[in-house]
Amino acid sequence: MKRFRSALGAIAAAMLVAACGSDTQTSVENPSTSHGTLVENPPVRIASLNATDFQTQLASTGASGQQLLQLTGSPQCGVDFYYLKFYTLGGAGEVTMSSGALMVPTGAAGTCSGPRPIVLYAHGTQTNKTLNIADITNTSNTEGALIAAMFAAQGYIVVAPNYAGYDISTLGYHPFVNAAQQSGEMMDILAAARTALPKTFAASTTDSGKLFVTGYSEGGYVAMATQRALQTAGATITAAAPMSGPYALEAFGDAIFYGDVDIGSTIFAPLISTSYQHAYGNIYTATTDVYSTQYASGIDTLLPSATPIDTIYANGQLPELALFNSTTPVVTIPNNPTLSTVLTDALAVPGSALNPGIPNDPRTPLFASGFGSPGLITNDYRVSYVLDAAGNPDGAVPTPVAGVPLAATAPTQSLRKALNLNDMRTGPWAPAEPTLLCGGDQDPTVFFSVNTQTMQAFWSTSPAAAYVSVLDVNATPAAPWTTLQATFQASQAQLLAFYESTAGGGLSPEAAEEQVIAAYHTNVAPFCSLAARIFFSQF
Amino acid sequence: MKLKLTLRALPVVLTALTGASILHTTAARADDAVPANTVAAGIYQIFYHVKADDLSGPFVPPGVNIDLKDTRTAYFGYFRRLTSYLDLELAFGVPPETKTVGKGPATLGSVPYAGATIATSKWAAPSALLEYKFFSESTALRPYVGVGVNYTSFYDRDVTAAGQAGTGGPTRLSLTSSVGPVGTVGLKYRPGTRWSVFASYSISRVDTNLKTDTAGEIRTTHVAFRPQALVVGAGYSF
Repeated sequence: MKRFRSALGAIAAAMLVAACGSDTQTSVENPSTSHGTLVENPPVRIASLNATDFQTQLASTGASGQQLLQLTGSPQCGVDFYYLKFYTLGGAGEVTMSSGALMVPTGAAGTCSGPRPIVLYAHGTQTNKTLNIADITNTSNTEGALIAAMFAAQGYIVVAPNYAGYDISTLGYHPFVNAAQQSGEMMDILAAARTALPKTFAASTTDSGKLFVTGYSEGGYVAMATQRALQTAGATITAAAPMSGPYALEAFGDAIFYGDVDIGSTIFAPLISTSYQHAYGNIYTATTDVYSTQYASGIDTLLPSATPIDTIYANGQLPELALFNSTTPVVTIPNNPTLSTVLTDALAVPGSALNPGIPNDPRTPLFASGFGSPGLITNDYRVSYVLDAAGNPDGAVPTPVAGVPLAATAPTQSLRKALNLNDMRTGPWAPAEPTLLCGGDQDPTVFFSVNTQTMQAFWSTSPAAAYVSVLDVNATPAAPWTTLQATFQASQAQLLAFYESTAGGGLSPEAAEEQVIAAYHTNVAPFCSLAARIFFSQF
Repeated sequence: MKLKLTLRALPVVLTALTGASILHTTAARADDAVPANTVAAGIYQIFYHVKADDLSGPFVPPGVNIDLKDTRTAYFGYFRRLTSYLDLELAFGVPPETKTVGKGPATLGSVPYAGATIATSKWAAPSALLEYKFFSESTALRPYVGVGVNYTSFYDRDVTAAGQAGTGGPTRLSLTSSVGPVGTVGLKYRPGTRWSVFASYSISRVDTNLKTDTAGEIRTTHVAFRPQALVVGAGYSF
């Protein structure tokens, strides 16, 4: 019996010894929630692709991938895709975790390792709350693939946030076109990425100190706001290339409320009203102050959403196109019947007898499609906005003033005040480093003339003029962008021919052109991105 | 009825088996010259027949699975003679280091996966078995069968550099302990009262819930290792 106990004791002792030992640990979690703090270091690498495999993967995505490769060129470097989690602040200063991408070039070539420049990139508007631009394994992450192929695979370290309100962020809304928040978040992810970079698998790839800032659409606006914020903070920026962004927000808002309804406006409207309501608290008392009763309930938490936007449309939670009511509101300004008539006519459906619009402008039917019954925004709200626009006019809309088109000096309507505050013309600021503004003049989503050309005019005086250049990919090809412009325009012509062909549906020339215009904003993106890369390569 | 044992139940099982040995030993010792205690040593050759769910979690492509390389280690055992037909065996070995290898896609992105050793861990896997020996005690060569319970815990769990390349960074690996049934068949040759040699083949159920944590990204799977062990050893009775 005693021996038996001893034997059991020996086994137990052996097991106790066996139970000791060290296990591998994961990344170190930083307990700080200060904005700019990287949560996990090193961050997780989602994927690692060498140049050959990346090219194969892009080519396998069909015609779009092959066309992208034609533009970007073959990858020169492999790319490691890291998923960053970091702390930032919401639109009302709330602490929130956010996430994004760190794409690190890899490979033996000299342009793929060692000191490399950083491209700080801001993406375009997404309705999909689960968006993770770092997740290259997700085939719907087209913008992530674009910037990886355009920049990272050519030797640039790419840093790009998903934005607060998306992915893991617990913020219940997205601070859409909020200059302070979004530029702050860009600087926060830049700080987080610089913390992470030495801990990555490709630690031999280091920050060269050159910083390029760019982004597309909403991200074009964010890029410009970030450029301003970095300048204000005294940080070094090598060059910037905001692309197709709504920079002149007040002018853009005025154009839309006057009736030039842009494609995507029924998505932008709830994003912007919710963003500014959280930031400033004065956009509405109840959502019915702005929105038709059919859509008002729950619209303040509708976007971004994990529910596909087509389902949201099908559920009747949001109209696909009808931003405004097709029944023209009658504007009555006491003691001013002339202006009342002018405004009433201006608010009529574009292309109608009261508001014929620009003859033969292919965008007129698109603008008109932004009207329906009941429309997302009430006529009363639209009139309240337009009365302010008429009383405190923007320098660029409806008719650009001679000289520098300033934003309104004294807007009173709450949404318009918020747009004015976030307008890139507001504040004593101008680019102090090389800046390329790229876009396409037929853009029906973010109007080129109202935004890009307004900023160009705004900075047309010295010293800003020396730093700012503009590229219209749809302009007559001219140096130094001759090839790029010609290629873009050829691609548009091919697309038009496709829609007119049997394979494309055999559309009439007018219908085919509408299809081309409808996809225009998206189609400009890779061309402007290429222009940005060519522009950056000079420095 | 499916035998379901938990870790908490293990001491009860061991106590029951131990208690049984005491009772039976008292009855058998009087008319039996074979010593009651035997210690044994030998070699374990372990064959894994892994069946695992595909790994699930963020950024894991379909079809990512794991396998284990067969391993060999030293065997140590203790036998308690309960009656002339029944033995209690406590089997354990020097905990072997197992190598987990990738199974599924050849690469994850451009990172080699299938066949790469992605993790190692050591197993502390003692078993307690009640064995029935055929023929009389005077027979030198006696086949036997046994059933019992195995407890397995995993330690020194390391994700290799190749594994970290696949998971995406430094990774903590967790494996839940397992309690499961074990069965054995064997043949023991005892030319005298002190020394014996034996060979056995055992099958046990060892299941675990595997979890990896890479910078907060959790990936999981359920693994049935289904190990089969060939033991060749020698014993000394006292």
